[in-house]
Amino acid sequence: MTMTLFLQSILAGLTNGFVYGLIGLGIAVVFRGARIINAMQGDFALLGSVVAYVVSTRLGVPMLPAFLTGVLAGGVLGLLVERLLIRPTEKRAGTEDSYLLVTLGGAFAVSAAVLLYFGRDSYVLNGIGGDASVDVLDAAIRVHAVWLIVISSVVVLALKLFYGHTRVGQAMLAASIDVDGSLTIGINVPLMRTLTFVTGGLMGGLAGVLVAPLINIHYEMGLLLTLKGFAAAILGGLISPVGAMFGGVLLGLVESLAVASVSSGYKDVITMVILILIMILMPQGLLGRRGRQGG
Amino acid sequence: MASLTGMRNRLVVAVFVALLATVWSVVPLLAGRSTVDMLVFAALYAIAGLGVAFLLGQCGIVSLAQNVFFGIGAYSTAYGATVLGWPAPASMIMGIVISGAIAAAVGVPVLRLSGYFLALATLALAVIGHVLFLEWDWLTGGTLGIGGIPPLSPLGYRINTPVRFYYFVSPILLVLILIHYNLLRSRTGIAMRAMRDAPSAAAVLGVNIARLKVKVFVSSAILGSFAGSLFAHYVSFVSVDSFGVDRAINFLLIAVLGGARTIAGTVLGALFVTALPNFLSRIGDVHALLFAILLIGAVIFLPQGFGGAVAQVWRHFGRRPDHAGRVTKGSPP
Amino acid sequence: MTSLLQVRDVAHRFRGLRVLKGVSFAVEEGSLTGLIGPNGAGKSTLFNIISGFLQPVSGEIVYLGNSITRLSIQDRSYAGLIRTFQTPQVFRHLTVRENLIAGCYKQGRSGIVASLLGLPAVRREFAGAAHLADETCAEFGLNAVRDQIAGRLPAGQQRLVELARAAASKPKLLCLDEPSSGLSSDEVTQLMAELRRLNKRGITILLVSHDMELMAVSSVIHVLCFGEIIASGGMAEVQANPRVREAYLGM
Repeated sequence: MTMTLFLQSILAGLTNGFVYGLIGLGIAVVFRGARIINAMQGDFALLGSVVAYVVSTRLGVPMLPAFLTGVLAGGVLGLLVERLLIRPTEKRAGTEDSYLLVTLGGAFAVSAAVLLYFGRDSYVLNGIGGDASVDVLDAAIRVHAVWLIVISSVVVLALKLFYGHTRVGQAMLAASIDVDGSLTIGINVPLMRTLTFVTGGLMGGLAGVLVAPLINIHYEMGLLLTLKGFAAAILGGLISPVGAMFGGVLLGLVESLAVASVSSGYKDVITMVILILIMILMPQGLLGRRGRQGG
Repeated sequence: MASLTGMRNRLVVAVFVALLATVWSVVPLLAGRSTVDMLVFAALYAIAGLGVAFLLGQCGIVSLAQNVFFGIGAYSTAYGATVLGWPAPASMIMGIVISGAIAAAVGVPVLRLSGYFLALATLALAVIGHVLFLEWDWLTGGTLGIGGIPPLSPLGYRINTPVRFYYFVSPILLVLILIHYNLLRSRTGIAMRAMRDAPSAAAVLGVNIARLKVKVFVSSAILGSFAGSLFAHYVSFVSVDSFGVDRAINFLLIAVLGGARTIAGTVLGALFVTALPNFLSRIGDVHALLFAILLIGAVIFLPQGFGGAVAQVWRHFGRRPDHAGRVTKGSPP
Repeated sequence: MTSLLQVRDVAHRFRGLRVLKGVSFAVEEGSLTGLIGPNGAGKSTLFNIISGFLQPVSGEIVYLGNSITRLSIQDRSYAGLIRTFQTPQVFRHLTVRENLIAGCYKQGRSGIVASLLGLPAVRREFAGAAHLADETCAEFGLNAVRDQIAGRLPAGQQRLVELARAAASKPKLLCLDEPSSGLSSDEVTQLMAELRRLNKRGITILLVSHDMELMAVSSVIHVLCFGEIIASGGMAEVQANPRVREAYLGM
């Protein structure tokens, strides 16, 4: 492998890694706050990117507001999911399988809706800085990708502060760890749960608008993102947003370097195999923290 | 008094079955070609769906990987027929052996996972399978696919029309369903459901959980492969599009809608899932969305599926008087 | 009487905490032995080690003269070591009868292929198991609920089903984990009668509980406190022991 190729792989891996990390972060947020694994996370991203696309290309809205709309759309979807999918399942004494099937159904619904509306074509969303790229030695990275990394890092830190130092954030954590205790001290547990899903949705929407300019928006992109984000989340211990980000970056780098040695068509196969290996060999994450028992 | 009720119930059941059999045998003569075509697909998907339903309902395992085995069966038949020139049963067996081997190899590590992890691992397998089908185009023909698969010709009689295939595949489906009912009335069948309900307690009674899971996964894969082989012979042309993740979702939907705990419910689920796109084909690709909504609806509102509703009716006629002569009411699982 | 089960110097640590500190005791064949202790004494941990759900950090479990410390749960089961659970683990979606048929699993031999084919051997085996299940049902007074779904029974009856199922699996050593928790005092009395009856049939019983009343059925009681055995002997002897009184009154 030449140095250039190596470097290019690193840059690509970093970029992808932060995307996976964002999705994984969303999964970690929802799991931390509701003890539910959201199989729809990648489709929050899909929706966010689709909304941003429609708003910017069909309605002519400038980039930044369009992006924000996409993020908000993710949040709204999160709210809808909590109300329409999670609560009814909970009311009917849902088993772990029920939540899985319901969120999977939601994922397929979003994907199918996009299929219906957009067809099987891919669409391109304009990114920050257009097509401009920055040179790093012999390799190049798109300006948008740099922004992606920066924004993701800021968001992770913001989230850490939110959970650690704001009353709402701590209430959300408390509500998931100890329902009865939280109720006793006056925390509105159902509301906290809704907020968890909204936050997860916002994270998903953000991931969508950030990744869309780099890959093409396509009705099937959600599921794959979810799986990769899930791998990132597990690596990070499943309940840690920061851990998910680290996991995502690691995953992105490994995927990228592996692909550089093999044909790019196998990219997803490699990541899926990594996901399965992670689940079997280190379900507790890299540091073996107390997360959910995977086996 | 009690035995008369028993006899009456058995009579009702017999009449019902006879009615069903009559309808079944007469449908192709009355219905149009496209309806029979749809029924054939329903039967094929029911066979594959049976594997998924069994895993889900009797063992509590959500498998989204059935499309892989369906594809392996189809491609084995396609490759065996067009490239190797093998007789149909040989290619079919090849598909089954490959599917079984992969299911066993993958199953041993993966089935140790539980719940979400296991389900998502099977989804990852579905993706892997789909990509490999695409990438290994020297084997599968990729998006161009493999065509010219000859129809099945047992003893020289060519099964090359929907009607003929209908009469061919329906008894096969029936036999497979009966076989699975056999399984329920055996120690293995009880062990599976025990494993589903309380794995620790099952282990204490001597059930080797890990091995049993693999065995059931392998049989599910074999069903999928078998269905895929038949599928290839029916459509005579296979390509990657038929074996993607959406196919896996379809099979799961069949299991969930049909009601995984009742085996016969799978048939109802398959009929529904196959018939619906036909009715909606005019509106475009809307059936995918509808399926997703149905999956959600089924999980929330109809956890026992259609089959569960049927099972309730069935149990009504299956009531047995207890020792005191009173009829004990069985409740649906 | 030879010792059916010997616990030899079993120690276990959990997240740095020494849960068991070198526990040794024996269960004599044919006896009804009790292991009692206040909550937090380490009873569950010890129980899980004996039944194969946990591997001890050090020490040995000897059963019928052989070390079974590394043996799987299933292998222990085939050797006759059966346990029940603190929350009754009935097979919720199966009927009581089917639960008991499951209890007979070890007595069968047929595999998945033979079962799919519906071979006569499989049918005979199943009928035999069903017959044994029906007998066990009658023995435990469960005939009235035999065809009911086990998960819908009240907790006390579920416990009885679990006990019956364990009995159907032909145990040599039956280990019961807090079998009286959640039972009314009438049900506890009935439980004690069942245990005496099973013991008279020749089944050795190890009873683990914090319930002193239930312990009255035992011929020998070992008292576990803070990970150590602090007293052993008959009921009266143990109750008079000053260390035991301190442990229970001090809690």
